[in-house]
Amino acid sequence: MEITSKSSGKSAAQMKRLNDTKTILRQPILLIAVIATIILLALFVVYPLVKVFIFSLTDETGKFSVENLHNILTSSRYLKVFGRTMLLGLIVAVLATTVGYIFAYTITRVDIPMKGFMKTIATLPILSPPFVLSLSVIFLFGKQGLITKNLLGIKGNNVYGMPSLIVVQVMSFFPIAYLTLSGILSSIDASVEDAACNMGAGRWKTFWTVTFPLSLPGIISGALLVFIQSLEDFSNPATIGGDYTTLSIEVYNIITGTYDMRKGSVLAILLLVPAVTAYLLNKYWVNKKSFVTVTGKPTQARKLIEEPHIKWPLFIICMLFAAVVLLFYGTVIFGSFVRTWGIDFSMTLDQYRRALQYGFGSLENSIILALISAVIGGMLGMIIAYITAKRDYYGKKFIEVASVLMFAVPGTVLGISYILGFNTKPLLLTGTAAILVIVFTFRNMPVAIESGTTTLLQIDNSIEEASTILGANSGYSFRRITLPLLRNAFFSGIVYSFTKAITAVSAVIFLVSPRWTLVTSKIYGLFDLAKYGQASAFVTMLIGVLLLFIGIFNTIINLLLAPRSRVPKLTKKAEESK
Amino acid sequence: MKNNIRIVALVICLAVVLCTAAAALADSNKLTVYTAFPESEVIYYFNKFTAETGIQIEYIRLSAGEMLTRVEAEKENPQAALMLGGSTDNYIAAAGRGLFEPYQSPELANTPQAYLDPTGTWNPIYVGCIAFACNSDWFKDNGYEYPKTWEDLLDPKYEGEIIMAHPATSGTAYTVLATLIQLKGEEACWEYMGKLSKNISQFTKAGSAAPNAVALGEAAIALTFSHDALQLTPEGYHIELSFPEDGTGYEVGAVALIKNGPADEQENAKKFIDWICSVDGQGSYAENDSFRVPTNTQAPVADGLVTLDQVPVIDYDAVWASNNKSKYCEEFEEKIVAKPES
Repeated sequence: MEITSKSSGKSAAQMKRLNDTKTILRQPILLIAVIATIILLALFVVYPLVKVFIFSLTDETGKFSVENLHNILTSSRYLKVFGRTMLLGLIVAVLATTVGYIFAYTITRVDIPMKGFMKTIATLPILSPPFVLSLSVIFLFGKQGLITKNLLGIKGNNVYGMPSLIVVQVMSFFPIAYLTLSGILSSIDASVEDAACNMGAGRWKTFWTVTFPLSLPGIISGALLVFIQSLEDFSNPATIGGDYTTLSIEVYNIITGTYDMRKGSVLAILLLVPAVTAYLLNKYWVNKKSFVTVTGKPTQARKLIEEPHIKWPLFIICMLFAAVVLLFYGTVIFGSFVRTWGIDFSMTLDQYRRALQYGFGSLENSIILALISAVIGGMLGMIIAYITAKRDYYGKKFIEVASVLMFAVPGTVLGISYILGFNTKPLLLTGTAAILVIVFTFRNMPVAIESGTTTLLQIDNSIEEASTILGANSGYSFRRITLPLLRNAFFSGIVYSFTKAITAVSAVIFLVSPRWTLVTSKIYGLFDLAKYGQASAFVTMLIGVLLLFIGIFNTIINLLLAPRSRVPKLTKKAEESK
Repeated sequence: MKNNIRIVALVICLAVVLCTAAAALADSNKLTVYTAFPESEVIYYFNKFTAETGIQIEYIRLSAGEMLTRVEAEKENPQAALMLGGSTDNYIAAAGRGLFEPYQSPELANTPQAYLDPTGTWNPIYVGCIAFACNSDWFKDNGYEYPKTWEDLLDPKYEGEIIMAHPATSGTAYTVLATLIQLKGEEACWEYMGKLSKNISQFTKAGSAAPNAVALGEAAIALTFSHDALQLTPEGYHIELSFPEDGTGYEVGAVALIKNGPADEQENAKKFIDWICSVDGQGSYAENDSFRVPTNTQAPVADGLVTLDQVPVIDYDAVWASNNKSKYCEEFEEKIVAKPES
């Protein structure tokens, strides 16, 4: 905030911080929330990462040493890997955000048939362990691929490399952009766009002068989230990257191949820097843009675009993409009923029988732990969004930065940092379920915080002020005004946390214990043995579990947090943006 | 309402943690194992062991490299008592870092001297030699014979059809490299690898990825251990083995006691080591399609399985190989992988 202010404004910003700090000191519940959040973040985010930093900057005897750092920074091989990782991240971020935007815009603005179907397609890819898509690519386009070999008759097609990686990552991560953007697009007040139309602007002009600028913060934040996901993605480069090695793979290779955790930590820190930098830049850029559009003043329902020349091209683009997504998932589901892919296509239920025989316990563990972490993470995320979005006080910067840091940490390094940090008394957590719950909670919370903050920034202060003027205290205003508006953010946060927790691979590979195995580590083991049928069976069951639980979350959140009829305008708004 | 949910969640969380703690304390009749054996295989041995001794086993399957990383990271507070499976490379490295408690089973009496650990720390439990794992469909379609020597692999007809893992990330691939160095000498080995790399489609990360690629028809020949390739055949994949006539290397798989592991599991762990080294334990290899060759000479061998005395194995020096691993892996990266395409 200081960045934009001049000398007189600077003292105003300081005054606000001082005032807000005083306000918080007067409100015990808020104060406890702030202090508890700071302690949790310091313990479970900052401390393990500091451990990794120290580890990477010391030698075997514990003395300070930059030898590892120097070796890596002067090695052309690692610089090349670094360049490749960034390039892939940029390409995937641009493409995935474009696809996500087209879907979000078409679903929120255009009068097309089959909207429910489109929404499902746009969230489906988030619902499975990513390496499943890689598997489909091999099944469909590999040397024994259904499409390449059986349909087109191409022999010896090499699918391993950057192009496949881009396709698979775009398909895996565009839902993140879609979720962020559809939230933003549906909360832009319809009357703003209508006003542009009424004043004679065409659809095209309205889009570029009103809709697009208003959704820009969402675009940036969606692209950023995708970029970071691409950087830290492990499963896809590991299965289909071929010789296109990315940093997260290099970290893993060094740690498990040459047992050199110090060198691995240095590389991981190199991966952290661009991600965190990008995030912080964006944070200030978004905050500088004011985009108050939820005014609480009377608005009418949005009129959807019906012109055929806009409607049908968008519909066809979305349908084509949807067809590809379905084809990929269909391949995996089909694979779960086949005896041996590529060799014997006779149908069987054996894969499910065997999968349940070995893996029922781990499936159960995954569900329980993901559930706990999603609920905790969703709520903590909303609390952090609430205490950081509109107030300014001493310690806020710390909460803001620390709460999103985990998002940029590659899973493998996260696992190592937790082992380094929590394997000695008094912080002895390795081997327990708690360490998994904690990793999931803090790693997957940033999406809840992001969407919570974005929503809160769009709510005009006057709504809460009005409520306060009418005699409500701040707790009542929060419960009746802010919370219902946060419902969607909470929902997307919890869904994201749950799916990410239940599909996490690299973050847990070092943390699962004999007592607490998880279904993804079972699947990963099956990949090692080419038991793709069983792996597909697990994945199909996982998709079923996820759909079931998302339905349950949706119902519960609607029941618990539905706005009361006493605020009719907001009810309508909330229903619309759903 | 919000507070209620939070309280419920906290209670659930606490209950879960307490249950884990309670389970950990109550049960001293158990054994915790890190294993590199495939899950479907290892469960057979564990069930058999439990049936005989009543000891309950909790385990987790990790790759050999992951096991070592984990045991090292946990050395202040080890979570498991045993490290089971994976080649001696890892065991020699781990022993060098002081991660193991030396224990030699009395059952090793029938194991040939060549397989034993000279430092007396870990116990050998199986052997397997490097083979050319061939996709029989591909060879049939093209009308080729299986390759019989290392030189055969240089034939241009195999361009892009040979697959092996990267020695830095796969113990299997490193055994291949170390075998070739011992067979040909350093200089000739790099020259050979340079030529071979023209036929290699990919240096995969995981050792198991190479035979998998052959199973799926992604490549025609994998350089891998015989048991890793043959374990895919019950799944219905068409893989057959050919052994280099001019000499091949082998791996010895091992089991070892993790230093300072759970105190109440030490006796159980020793019982398991004794069992897996015994005729009874190693005889199980023949019962579950493991395709592993026992190190205990008294143990029965599965029908038709090629044992080491039928193959021209070299006098593979595992200790030398383990001690020189990082040096040769770096040279491999520089001379073979990073080399600009010509």
